[in-house]
Amino acid sequence: MSETTTRWRWGTNRWIVLFFIILSAIFAGIFPPLRPHVQLPAEYLTGTLFTLPFIGEFRLSNTIVALLIADAILIGMAILVGRAVRKGEQTFTGVTAAVEAIVEGLYNLTESTAGKWAKTIFPWMATIVLLVLVVNWTEMIPGVDSIGLFDKHHIEHPEACTFDTLARLGSTEVVAVGGESECAAGVVPFVRVASTDLNFTIGLAIVSVVATQFVGLRALGPSYLTKFFNTRTLFKKPMFGAIDFLVGILEAILEAVKVLSFSFRLFGNIFAGSILLFVVGSLVPVFAQSAVLLLEFFVGIIQAIVFGMLTLIFMSLATIGHAEAEAH
Amino acid sequence: MEGNIVEAATIFGKLVGAGLAAVGVLGGGIGVGLSALGAVQAMGRNPDVAGTIQTNMILGFAFAEATSIYALVVALLILFVF
Repeated sequence: MSETTTRWRWGTNRWIVLFFIILSAIFAGIFPPLRPHVQLPAEYLTGTLFTLPFIGEFRLSNTIVALLIADAILIGMAILVGRAVRKGEQTFTGVTAAVEAIVEGLYNLTESTAGKWAKTIFPWMATIVLLVLVVNWTEMIPGVDSIGLFDKHHIEHPEACTFDTLARLGSTEVVAVGGESECAAGVVPFVRVASTDLNFTIGLAIVSVVATQFVGLRALGPSYLTKFFNTRTLFKKPMFGAIDFLVGILEAILEAVKVLSFSFRLFGNIFAGSILLFVVGSLVPVFAQSAVLLLEFFVGIIQAIVFGMLTLIFMSLATIGHAEAEAH
Repeated sequence: MEGNIVEAATIFGKLVGAGLAAVGVLGGGIGVGLSALGAVQAMGRNPDVAGTIQTNMILGFAFAEATSIYALVVALLILFVF
């Protein structure tokens, strides 16, 4: 009978973790955390850049910067996969393998739900899932939400704030702010997660809902519109026909409400998460944030899948006709 | 003096209102618990389809959670916007 004794091994990873914990403790000492200042609308980094007809002034906000970063990551992934496909590689490795696995999983999901309309619905669904996933995960990048410009116009007593200049961008200074807690109100982060801006989430929700109507129109033709203006039974059986007509109008209202529920679900989850990060980061600046970041990692995945799944389900419902659904 | 009282009443109203709005989170918690209950029971009876049940459970979570997130958004709006 052999008794196996596991020898205590001193790995290297724990030292790396310990090094980062000590580093964060040192940095928390040098740049003490501020009481967070929470602001709902996105902050603007620049003045008016140009004015568009009908839409209005365009100013670069920090959520647009985050969205552009996410776009760059997605385009980079697409270029990598495209290059691998063009080379004719039989097995993908690294990033391309991960993208292949994600896309394959999403396609199987779409096919099992939407059946023969999978090829029409898949691009919408996969685009939404990938975009929301990458946008949510920009929260993980160090420096997002925490490094920014100091704008004196936002606060009443700028004299109370002391700052160390980290770098210069033209005439404006990149600073780490110390001093009074009000000073946090003056910091405009360079990058703020795009999902914490209602403009992004409402825009995505409108795209999803309008695309659903187009998918429905393509699948069923003009008879799709009888879902909303149900006049089929109105003349045959006036009593029940009237009820059917009212139900159709309710369906139309429900489509509009979908925009609200889509956008507030994503916005609420990610915004609440970022506030949690601020608060935990200011209370316990060392290590505690990592646990919250892990939670946010999963919330990011779940919200992306939920947004895509709901789009998928609503689209596949739109391809099934009203009459056909009744016949079952 | 009067301005101070008005300001204090505003802050008081904000805080109480945000707290009351956050009570709505209760329903979401019950909903998430119920969906987990159902999923775990189903998995216990039929462990072979645990994967499918898990996916649907997470979807159910998200739906149940959505209403509580609305309550949270209202509370945050009261606190930080008005």
